[in-house]
Amino acid sequence: MKHPSLFDKRNQLKASNNFDKQANAASGMSVDDECKLRFLELKAKRNYRFIIFKIEEKIQRVIVEKLGQPGESYDDFASSLPDNECRYAVYDFDFTTNENCQKSKIFFVAWAPDTSRIRSKMVYASSKDRFKRELDGIQVELQATDPSEMSIDICVD
Amino acid sequence: MEIDDADNSDKNSGSAPDSKSKSKRKLYVGSQDLGFRRDHMEVLSPLKDGIVVDWDMVENIWDHALRKCLLIDPKEHPMLLAEPCSNTQQQREKTAEIMFEKYQVPALFLAKNAVLTSFASGRATSLVVDCGGGSTTVAPVHDGYVLQKAVATSPIGGEFLTDCLLKSLEQKGISIKPRYAFKRKEIRAGEFQIMDLDFPNTTESYKLYSQRVIVGDIKECVCRAPDTPYDETSYSNIPMTPYELPDGQTIEIGADRFKIPDVLFNPSLVQTIPGMESFAEMTSSARGLPQMVIDSINKCDVDIRRELFSSILLSGGTASMQQLKERLEKDLLEESPQAARVKVLASGNATERRFSVWIGGSILASLGSFQQMWFSKSEFEEHGASYIQRKCP
Repeated sequence: MKHPSLFDKRNQLKASNNFDKQANAASGMSVDDECKLRFLELKAKRNYRFIIFKIEEKIQRVIVEKLGQPGESYDDFASSLPDNECRYAVYDFDFTTNENCQKSKIFFVAWAPDTSRIRSKMVYASSKDRFKRELDGIQVELQATDPSEMSIDICVD
Repeated sequence: MEIDDADNSDKNSGSAPDSKSKSKRKLYVGSQDLGFRRDHMEVLSPLKDGIVVDWDMVENIWDHALRKCLLIDPKEHPMLLAEPCSNTQQQREKTAEIMFEKYQVPALFLAKNAVLTSFASGRATSLVVDCGGGSTTVAPVHDGYVLQKAVATSPIGGEFLTDCLLKSLEQKGISIKPRYAFKRKEIRAGEFQIMDLDFPNTTESYKLYSQRVIVGDIKECVCRAPDTPYDETSYSNIPMTPYELPDGQTIEIGADRFKIPDVLFNPSLVQTIPGMESFAEMTSSARGLPQMVIDSINKCDVDIRRELFSSILLSGGTASMQQLKERLEKDLLEESPQAARVKVLASGNATERRFSVWIGGSILASLGSFQQMWFSKSEFEEHGASYIQRKCP
């Protein structure tokens, strides 16, 4: 196994190189280290069911807003997303396959409700690509503008 | 500070009295100057199929926008320009040269129209259907990048529909009198007298421009996309809608209300409009809107098709046509694969729909974090204009 810190560093380097090469209308928002750490905990230790991230425009950073405990449900997750503000979120989705096999997948949700301000939509959409690259190990990605777009059955299929 | 690209600026008007050489012509720019008729003045546009072909005119438009409308010194403001997806490398470099060398801007950024529209709706991945004046573009955007190979364009936009309506009205014996060609005087309260004026030195292009202004308004007021493909027989008994022309004459518009917008969905309809025969060749190769959407999505990677079908964004002036969104959604539902969840999205606000590119650009440029992304003047001086391809791919 690779040494984690070295691995992280190399990844970071890769990300920053990419970033330099492809700057297509990206907002230039940076990502708080806390985001990466908590995501790693969700992925490796399964300490959290979900994490909600928000952009703090004043400090030009993506930060962790809320951590969901392993016992919390999908509904708890959905109700943690504000009605009129954008957020990013990851959700660790447990399910049973047709072969009766327990599995889990990590979902990335870009939450941009129609009622949120255009400025907020613009900030989140233009920072998403960069942010997502910081989180290594996302399996499914969803964009949602209202609760129906991220209802549980969409996640199932 | 950001300035819209030439795309949405007012059309350029120039007069070329006796010679066509660029050095001798005098250019008038802006809607105010366009409203004033001059002898021998031609109306010209620097764009052809959404791409700049006359840079001299563009520079005049930018001068006008910066110095007359915004009243700013370009040296003091970074400049964000929105460009069409089909802009070539040479054009991007030319743009950078003009901006840095002529206007001496401190920093520049070029953003793609489709990307700005997509971001302004909160989506990094979407299919942007931009129904503009001069053309229609369908562009898939994935994670903030336009998938160039899958972009579909058609020359059918709002202006083309206006021309169709103009020809169709003329064919019915309705003549659209340009506003400059008559004087309207109130002789008694509520009673008007029309006096025809004669200006033999008015150019054809100015006359056509003035007629288009009027017909464009008729189109916006009465036209709506039909719920099902247009056919002559079922629309022959449609109730007439009245419209009062500037000269006081009231005209009635029947089937054309539905027929003209349907050209967007079925370009071959143009062949049935008398006077538009010269465009038959152009429209026979053009595809209808739903077909463009499906072709564009099918050129994308299989993995993202589902997501594109579920976030189709409508933007541009012509997208405000009544029932356009509903009709597109309906046609796509019929023609798309069954597993796809088709969803056509458009802002409820017509201004937002029309100016989504500008709105997106203005927010992006104002973000604190964006300030590190600019292509700066010192970078331009060090690496040259071609560096724009790296900074703003």
